[in-house]
Amino acid sequence: MKKLTTRNAFLGVIVAIAVSAGLLTVPAKAADPITLTIWTFGEVIQPGLQREYQKLHPEIKIIPIKNDVDPLHQKTILSCQTGGPADIIAFEVPYSGYWRTGNRPNCFQDLRQMKTTDTNAAAGVAAGLSATDIKKNYLPWRWEQGVAFNDSVIGIPTDVGGLQVAYRSDLFKKAGLPTDRVAVSKLWPTWEKFIEVGQKYVSKLTPAEKKSNKGFIDDAGSIYAAVMNQGTVKYYQPDGTDAGKLVYKTNPQIKKAWDTTVKALNAGIGARLGQFTSDWNIGMNKGAMATILAPAWMLDYIKKQAPDTKGKWDIADLPVGGGNQGGTELAIPSYSKNKQAAYDFLTWYLAPEQQLKVFKTYGLFPSTSVLYDDAALLEYKDEFFSNAPVGQIYTKGVLKLKPIFEGELQRKIDSTFGAGLGRVASKKMTSEKSYALVISDIDKLFRN
Amino acid sequence: MTLIKDSKGRSKAPLTPWKQKSKKEKKPLPGVASLNGRWGYPAIAPFFMIFLIFGVAPVAYSIYISFFKWDPLGTSEFNGLNNFIFLLQDSDFWLAIRNTFSIWALSTFPQMLIAISLAAILRNRRLKGKSFWRTILLVPNITSVIAITIVFQQLFGRDYGLINGIIGLIPGVDHIDFIEGIIPSHIQIATMITWRWVGYNTLIFLASMLAIPDELYESASVDGATKWQQFKYVTLPSLKNTITFVLIVGTIGGLQVFAEPQQLAADGGSTKQFLTLTLFLYNQAFLNNKYGYAAAIGIAITVIVLIISAINFVITRRISGEGGR
Repeated sequence: MKKLTTRNAFLGVIVAIAVSAGLLTVPAKAADPITLTIWTFGEVIQPGLQREYQKLHPEIKIIPIKNDVDPLHQKTILSCQTGGPADIIAFEVPYSGYWRTGNRPNCFQDLRQMKTTDTNAAAGVAAGLSATDIKKNYLPWRWEQGVAFNDSVIGIPTDVGGLQVAYRSDLFKKAGLPTDRVAVSKLWPTWEKFIEVGQKYVSKLTPAEKKSNKGFIDDAGSIYAAVMNQGTVKYYQPDGTDAGKLVYKTNPQIKKAWDTTVKALNAGIGARLGQFTSDWNIGMNKGAMATILAPAWMLDYIKKQAPDTKGKWDIADLPVGGGNQGGTELAIPSYSKNKQAAYDFLTWYLAPEQQLKVFKTYGLFPSTSVLYDDAALLEYKDEFFSNAPVGQIYTKGVLKLKPIFEGELQRKIDSTFGAGLGRVASKKMTSEKSYALVISDIDKLFRN
Repeated sequence: MTLIKDSKGRSKAPLTPWKQKSKKEKKPLPGVASLNGRWGYPAIAPFFMIFLIFGVAPVAYSIYISFFKWDPLGTSEFNGLNNFIFLLQDSDFWLAIRNTFSIWALSTFPQMLIAISLAAILRNRRLKGKSFWRTILLVPNITSVIAITIVFQQLFGRDYGLINGIIGLIPGVDHIDFIEGIIPSHIQIATMITWRWVGYNTLIFLASMLAIPDELYESASVDGATKWQQFKYVTLPSLKNTITFVLIVGTIGGLQVFAEPQQLAADGGSTKQFLTLTLFLYNQAFLNNKYGYAAAIGIAITVIVLIISAINFVITRRISGEGGR
């Protein structure tokens, strides 16, 4: 405790100096218009909806500042120690375990203590609602990912990253595979079958295509997360404590996911394009891959990166069924000066009506389960993906999802496994050696 | 050491006239110097205050926390020397040292060769548009590292990169993976560093080349020396001190390589093949939130810098001792 106070005192001195320096030089601004600074990433804050809100509330100015997911996480940690300008912060679900544990929830406002004002009453958000009151709109296990272990509600879920398979029907046709999405889904009831289909596809490629590294799936390594998330336990097993019990050495699901992925890697079905790299972006346009394991939020990315492939894509079920990847929470940092305005914005932005609009333009699949039997969602089709009933397909997948306990260092462990599979993919190491290195790398995380 | 000084007698000669001069002048110096004593300390205070707050304090603080298991948003406990013991056992640390020096060697030596050759070309008195060439050399240096990295990453792309496009034209040669390979990834990073610093070093070499008296070249050509011989026996020996300088600056920069590998892959690659020391430190502090351990790495880097400085010092002494000016 003493150490903590020394450190706080030290930070306090620096903050005091910075603040007094600021007070001396910057004249105080008029308090009237409220500026909401949102630290976000990707397409979490949709510009269209942001404009709509500003039209409703001319007195509020919204400034989203984008970072990548991991740097944003670091920024959030730093700002929690020193204070910062953000009023709303987005964090991804793999990081939720980190924020829910220990005294870290103190970094965020407990949303149970907030109440909506009547400012959005006309737009469908009644006054006087706390987080406890709006909870019923959301998918229960998804809501829990924003609830800290001390029971305070630190985040409201924006989307569910339901996972399905996006595939190129034209390339399937060329390889003599069925193209209809129902028939394609039937091709792969299991991951083994998926790999077999992949081998069949790759065997039809011309030598020139093989030389340019074309493959069945963009990155066979992405199978790991998909299989992993079809289980119920990842690296932490809930055991009644906040932290959970670490089971990364013993959980059979991990070995299964690892072995399935290694099998896919050895079968050579992957184009070995790391997701979100420049080669991946270009390859998407050039037909370097026939399938991508696509969470709902990735559909928009595909549309933007590969506009020329419009109408050539379609969407089929994930092998085994029910996959999850990603998803985001929006939270209000405790240092925010505009908590009320931020809360009013959040409750409006994440209300079912708005989530439906976000889904239609950006493909983020709603976390509000009240929409799941809504015709507007179920009947939604996407022209880019050959008019696939995107709403229906993803709803079916999301309803199959089982909640998974996300532990404190989830994200870090995930990326350590990802690096391990990368080593196998590039044939730098054998599967056994790489696996052993992954385990020892994770061991290191928990030392010091 | 004294032996060398005595035999050359160089250090004495230039000092003597200055000493005599200062003995004669006893009245106070004009201008700012007259403020000495009364206003001197307040005048230099701002620098030392800032240095104290942003220089000394963080260093002292990191030495302090290097003895702790220090989580920024969790609990912190005293850890004794465990951070240092663990560091020496951490294979990543040794990998980082290997990578740092490999990248340093791959960037410094080719860079030196290119810079000296470019400077030799620019030294040509008949060259047209001198200022233009000299200015343009500095452009890569003022470009943002991130921008450079993004462009080079596209050039070095495994499947669609320009460089692999050219390599692929050679029959029987496969594309090179400039991320996964150890040496290829080092080459990619070293190329970015070279691109950024070669112009800057060229200008330094050029400046010192222009300071070489023309008489030396004239007498060399009277003796029948070819251009190459002139370069080898006149230009290069005169550049000895500059080369040392560039080497030292390059070493300091080499130990700080961070943004380029970080942009390629934040974790330093799947086998940590381009994890450098500073990236290792940064990742422990800001990805793994181990501030104490990161502070220990910082101290280790300081020790490495001290060792290298000592080596540099010895080499510099030897070079400037041996060679005449």
